[in-house]
Amino acid sequence: MIKFDHVTKRYPGSNEALRDASFTIEAGEMVFVTGHSGAGKSTLLKLIAAIERPTSGTVLVANQNISKLKPSATPFMRRRFGLIFQDHKLLYDRNCFENVILPLHINGVSGTEAAKRVRAALDKVGLLNKEKAMPITLSGGEQQRLAIARAVVSRPSILIADEPTGNLDASYAADIMDIFQAFNQVGVTVIVATHDALGMSAVQGRVLHLDHGILKEGERLTS
Amino acid sequence: MTNWLNQHVQALRLVLNRMQYNKLSTFMISIVIAVALCIPGLFYLGVDHLSKFTNHMQSETEISLFLKLDSDKDAISEIETVLAKNASIKHYHLVPKAQAWEELKNKAGTGQKKEKNITSLDKNPLPDAFFIQAKSAEPDALESLKNELQSIPGVEHALLNTDWAKRLSAILALGKKIILFITLQLAIALLVVIGNTIRMQILTQKDEIVVSKLIGATNSFIRIPFLYAGVLYGFFGGVLTVLLLTLVVKLFNVFITELSSLYSSDFSLPLVNSQLFISIIGIAMLIGWLGSYLAVSRSIASIKIS
Repeated sequence: MIKFDHVTKRYPGSNEALRDASFTIEAGEMVFVTGHSGAGKSTLLKLIAAIERPTSGTVLVANQNISKLKPSATPFMRRRFGLIFQDHKLLYDRNCFENVILPLHINGVSGTEAAKRVRAALDKVGLLNKEKAMPITLSGGEQQRLAIARAVVSRPSILIADEPTGNLDASYAADIMDIFQAFNQVGVTVIVATHDALGMSAVQGRVLHLDHGILKEGERLTS
Repeated sequence: MTNWLNQHVQALRLVLNRMQYNKLSTFMISIVIAVALCIPGLFYLGVDHLSKFTNHMQSETEISLFLKLDSDKDAISEIETVLAKNASIKHYHLVPKAQAWEELKNKAGTGQKKEKNITSLDKNPLPDAFFIQAKSAEPDALESLKNELQSIPGVEHALLNTDWAKRLSAILALGKKIILFITLQLAIALLVVIGNTIRMQILTQKDEIVVSKLIGATNSFIRIPFLYAGVLYGFFGGVLTVLLLTLVVKLFNVFITELSSLYSSDFSLPLVNSQLFISIIGIAMLIGWLGSYLAVSRSIASIKIS
């Protein structure tokens, strides 16, 4: 599904954010990317999601070489992913329903079919009763769940979350992790970057540990 | 196909919602467009109507054919057969010198001084004359017909009195060119104004653009709402221009009819010129589209997601 082959990423005017990383993630896996802040976790996720291009090496996602992707093909590649960010990246000028429907509009789904799928996604994260609420009125945990609903509404095969629990307290964080676990159990590949061991306490999955841009395969987490 | 249509309907709905939310700024940009387009529109309306008026005058112009003073009946009938054969003549009539003399005397009868002058002439100084209406109203065709008639033997002088009309229409043609120039300049100004407005909107919606790009929106998906915004600004501005023009024409007509009645004419500007109105709205929409297209293409490329 996802294959890194000797991937190095260097940002202009800084050290290598990721050095010679090689690994494979199979379809349906649950993978945690761990490491201190600045270790290159976000870079690794951005390389998968075609937000950044590698300086050298190849990144393959579903047998497509990300570094050779044409700009016109990039949007279609991104639609394979559900992306979740630490700062949610919600749109605060529209309500929850309208936030979640955005990926469907981009995919050309509309009308009752879209509304049905939005409600299903909101239901999965427990926000069905808040569809008319504005995101700013939600708590941090609820906002993150809303972001998850938006990420999963177009039924992507890969979920990528960058520090999804970074700003949340432990019980909210556990909620979020449970949701990811549930998606993983129905066959979605889930990749979560986190520096926070608490959130992982009750979950299982493979760990990719980064230390100053160098990848070390960690032990498997089992609960 | 339905996807494509959906995308456009959604974009249009989104833009209309935004405009409703920002009624005042939408109204203000429309006013800017309306005022800028109203000026050349008004000039055009005046010049266009005036040129139609002069065309009408030109088409009514007769060619006067004055015969030699010593023409006898045979010479007159000879010329008449030549005129009857000429295909480019609609109709003609003969005014014999005796009739013209009577008419002149009658006309001059009102003024004492003139009467004296005319009665002091002991014999009729006027020639026989044909008054000819041509089929074509084209100045060139009239000119060549005049020359043709001039060359008929027995004709003293052929007179085509369209020179003043020609001069006027030349001035009007110049006026139209000036209007075109002003319109072009204002169009460029509008391009910049609309482009700037759209650019500001793009900046305020930067978050949305970034998020949309992250979840796989194509550039055209992001661009479409802004293009619609530009076109709609143009549309509203165009409609406002038409309203403004109608209002101004209505006000002006009061003064124009007053003025033209002094010249014993019934000249006034027409209230509705649908062709002009449709062109104004069309041009405004085109300017809106172009302005936003230029702004959007540059601004969206400059927004980086990483």
